[in-house]
Amino acid sequence: MTATIDNHWYPVAMISGIQAPRETLLLGKKITVGRERGTCWVKDASGNALPTVERFGHLWTSPGQPNRDLFTIPEADSPGRRLVDVGSVKVKCSPLRAVENFLDIAHFPFVHTDILGAEPHTEVDRYDVKIREEVDEVWATKVKFFQPQAAKSAEGGITTEYMYRVPAPTCSVLYKTCPPRPGEWDVITLFVQPLTDEWCEVWPWMALYDDDSTMSEMVSFQQLIFMQDRSILENQLPRKLPLDPGMEVPTQADMTSVAYRRWLKKIGYTYGAQLVAA
Amino acid sequence: MILYDYVLSASCYKVRLMAALIGKTLSLHAVNFHPAQEHKSPEMLALNPKGTLPILQDGDTVLTDSADILRHLTAEHPEWRSPEDDRWLAFASDLNNSLGLARLHDVISYEADIEKARAAGVAALRKLEAHLTEQRFDGLIFLTGKTPTIADIACFPNTALAPDGGVSLDPYPSVRLWMRAIRSLPGFIEMPGIHRLHELAHPA
Amino acid sequence: MNWVAVALTEDVPPGVVIPSRIEDTDLAIWCTPSGRYHAWSDRCPHRGMRLSHGFVRGDTLACIYHGWQYNEEGACDYIPAHPKLTPPDTICVPTYTCTEAGGVIWVSLNKTDSALPALGGRKPVRSLPINLSANDLAAHFGAEDYTTIAVVSDHDVLIAVQPCTDNACMAHVLASPDKDRTTVSRWLEDLRATLEGMPS
Repeated sequence: MTATIDNHWYPVAMISGIQAPRETLLLGKKITVGRERGTCWVKDASGNALPTVERFGHLWTSPGQPNRDLFTIPEADSPGRRLVDVGSVKVKCSPLRAVENFLDIAHFPFVHTDILGAEPHTEVDRYDVKIREEVDEVWATKVKFFQPQAAKSAEGGITTEYMYRVPAPTCSVLYKTCPPRPGEWDVITLFVQPLTDEWCEVWPWMALYDDDSTMSEMVSFQQLIFMQDRSILENQLPRKLPLDPGMEVPTQADMTSVAYRRWLKKIGYTYGAQLVAA
Repeated sequence: MILYDYVLSASCYKVRLMAALIGKTLSLHAVNFHPAQEHKSPEMLALNPKGTLPILQDGDTVLTDSADILRHLTAEHPEWRSPEDDRWLAFASDLNNSLGLARLHDVISYEADIEKARAAGVAALRKLEAHLTEQRFDGLIFLTGKTPTIADIACFPNTALAPDGGVSLDPYPSVRLWMRAIRSLPGFIEMPGIHRLHELAHPA
Repeated sequence: MNWVAVALTEDVPPGVVIPSRIEDTDLAIWCTPSGRYHAWSDRCPHRGMRLSHGFVRGDTLACIYHGWQYNEEGACDYIPAHPKLTPPDTICVPTYTCTEAGGVIWVSLNKTDSALPALGGRKPVRSLPINLSANDLAAHFGAEDYTTIAVVSDHDVLIAVQPCTDNACMAHVLASPDKDRTTVSRWLEDLRATLEGMPS
């Protein structure tokens, strides 16, 4: 394992869900997560304490020596938002495949039919993608898509605008048109814990403007969406994400995924990646 | 009628699907089963001391067993009933304890003897395949005859969701055609992990 | 390897796609609405999704993930995200030789001139997964090859064996048309129980 991979922050628990110490895996190695007197801790297999950060409702740790702070989502701090702990779902796929699927809109009409997309509204218009060198993050902006029911709070079909951000190799943040508050963005995240390079635990989290839905309804909506993705993610071959061009065929609609793969390659993040054709 | 519902529960889906197929509108009350374990909250335990879902509330009647709920929903729909149903409602409960448990283990980390749960699931799928194959020899596609009954609706969800728990459905051709027949029913609704038949919609 | 049985035709009616495999090769077997069978690599070239999870629409097989449609030659002819685009010829799914005979769908992973196995007028009964390698199954019946095995029993059955993994195969079973299929099917269940119960 190289420092390039170890030195990132990874989500390992939802803070509100930590009770008795729980054993889990991070990058294929056993760790234990627990809480004492209100403070969360993480230990490696030898019992050594690992660094921790509590942010976005989740506990983050790193098996290495992170050379930068965990990313922030300033928008999520604005007042009036409801912070939604969605819980976790385990998936047998590369953590990178889980992130890449989250960055994709072209599957909405087929996988999230009549919710996030519907035929015949399948066209993906050109949008902007870049690697923001100053922060070393992937950003896609001006992404627009017609959605029958964009959120729990949406009534009827609307064209939704999205911004996607990849602030860490196994995390993505989505900013999305907020049906009840034009001009504001809902924040929906996908935090992925790499259990191994072909198995992950996915922790979605949201910061939404929604005064009508119950918390349970918002959780249900996001679990519904992610479980629709899970049956795709467990059936992609290979399970790892191919980084070399040639194994898979992108189109213009996949510009975010192309940038994500290029960025992973650039920063040397190869855990869960397939580098040469099998 | 109010259904206390969890969107990922195979047993709650039985109820939603049955209601959709007979054109009955349910008022859904979302329960945060995972991660918040809201089904064990004092309010929910007051309604159902067993702490399980689904719960159907119809006036003063509160039903907490999915087989009872299916019977209740179809009380005035004899076309959805067969004398053979009881046997398959019991079998549906075996599916829930095997394939259903494997799925909860693989998806939301339920404690389970996973190899045992999967092996029991495979044994149940083989029984289902054998029966459905014999039905097809007689020109019948559903569990009890030419038309579906609550038996089919009770057994369908955990069967169709078997891959979620690491049990493949690939080697069961009669099960596959039976699932397809259910997905083709007018009024069919999907749940995460069970796709609708896209071939039926919007030819390009 | 020559012809391998991958399914019975009545298990893959028009408009249906199913997953199958021959050893390490994952297959999507599908039937057009007009009844033509195809055996393809079970992988969409776009993002690697299994095509056997997809759907048949018209004379195309579509991927469930993004709806990309492939014509009967395996070439992509429609990408829903870009409805006005004519997909380049380079986007295609590897296809295999596939034909139907005697109610069985046969696939050859290589080009082949060899004749299809003779079925002796027997009719399909059912396909049965067995937790035993194809070679072990053949050895049990004293057969040299597992392509088709005539089993001398009360029922005069023929087993067309599909090698799936190191410890699993699919038995596509045929019997004389005058045999009661339910009786043969139950005999097969017992046979499987015996075979799987044997120490290997």
